[in-house]
Amino acid sequence: MKVQHYLGGIENLGPVDVEKRVFVEPWEAQLFAVHTTMMGTGIWAWPDLRVLAESMNPLDYFKYRYYIKWLGGMCKFLISRNYISEKELEAKTRYYLENPDAAQPNAGNNDVTERVIEYFYTGANPYRDVAVNPIFKVGDTVRVKDMPPVVHTRLPGYLRNRIGVVETVYKGAYLYADNVPTDGICTAQPVYLVKFKTRDLWDDIPDKGDVLYNDCFEVYLEAA
Amino acid sequence: MSDDHDHDHHHHLRESETYYAARTKALESLFREKGLIGTDTVDRVINFFEHEMGPFNGAKVVAKAWTDPAFKGRLLADANKAIAELGMRDGIEGENLKVVENVPGTHNVVCCTLCSCWPWPLLGLPPYWFKDPVFRARVVREPRGVLSDFGVTLPEESKIEIWDSSAQVRYFVIPERPAGTDGWTEEKLAALVSTEAMQGLGLATA
Repeated sequence: MKVQHYLGGIENLGPVDVEKRVFVEPWEAQLFAVHTTMMGTGIWAWPDLRVLAESMNPLDYFKYRYYIKWLGGMCKFLISRNYISEKELEAKTRYYLENPDAAQPNAGNNDVTERVIEYFYTGANPYRDVAVNPIFKVGDTVRVKDMPPVVHTRLPGYLRNRIGVVETVYKGAYLYADNVPTDGICTAQPVYLVKFKTRDLWDDIPDKGDVLYNDCFEVYLEAA
Repeated sequence: MSDDHDHDHHHHLRESETYYAARTKALESLFREKGLIGTDTVDRVINFFEHEMGPFNGAKVVAKAWTDPAFKGRLLADANKAIAELGMRDGIEGENLKVVENVPGTHNVVCCTLCSCWPWPLLGLPPYWFKDPVFRARVVREPRGVLSDFGVTLPEESKIEIWDSSAQVRYFVIPERPAGTDGWTEEKLAALVSTEAMQGLGLATA
């Protein structure tokens, strides 16, 4: 079991850190721009980053700030795919530690810039216009399966074995990813908006009539 | 002993902001040398999220929805189509947008317990609170406690609808229009709408 898959519902954590900024250190914005360049030029996609986040030591996952985790994940990925070598990364890091004000090399491919900006507007829609026959229909009662633990999932742990009602059957099919190991979402399939009563998720909370919605890939559901 | 000391020193150094900054500079510099990034890419990306794709888009959509019920209807039915009417483009992390509306008695809250799914075309990039594991852990089970951390208290009888994004849809909340704003221009109304309010972790106030 991975804590990262089961965050929802953990108790006794204390107050939320209501930090409204997107970046709290200047390097985070620079790192984010390198990340979007990787996205926009097809070096990687969200699932690659999420696989790395979910493979972290869970205590470190809680300990490190968001972009610190990204930095570690990005370096690990780029080295493992031979985009850069560990040796050159270490040497360059040392150089900038010793020369914090040194400028970036006056080199690069400026065609990349427009490609990345255009990517922000085109996106990467997971919608697939393929013929599907959804197993469930609006109003059906469904149980979320207890899927076997895997490297990467899009099933929030607190929903496992819980019962909800199909609110929406989305048109067509959606492909999560086809290049990372998952629990069955590497093929295009129907996705359902499922409605749960939060009291059915946690029977010890006060009954306020609250509900929770989650978009579930078909493979995660069975008839209840 | 001296090995231990070196190790500790090394470990400590690798967890400093100075180190993260140098490591990030090293990454961009290697990308430049290998032609994987342009000389202007980083500046252009940062500028893009400051001026083109940010919460000012969402605030404009909310102000329009508050003042034009027909538009609000179209927005709730098909958000991607409706924002195009305002000359706004959708895109990454917003290919399938869904807008929900706060009304008296029903308050919507958006989260992503697995990572940080967020409607970029309308809100730009997620702030730190949204990505905080504590927020993600608590909001689904104790939303009122989390709202109180944000200084929000709902009426006793309000029900909460929580949207935990994990597949293709990115959720966006139209907050309730504050009282005393009749006749206000869309521009003046948009200034009342915070990023937090557009995910249900804040209220719009005049």
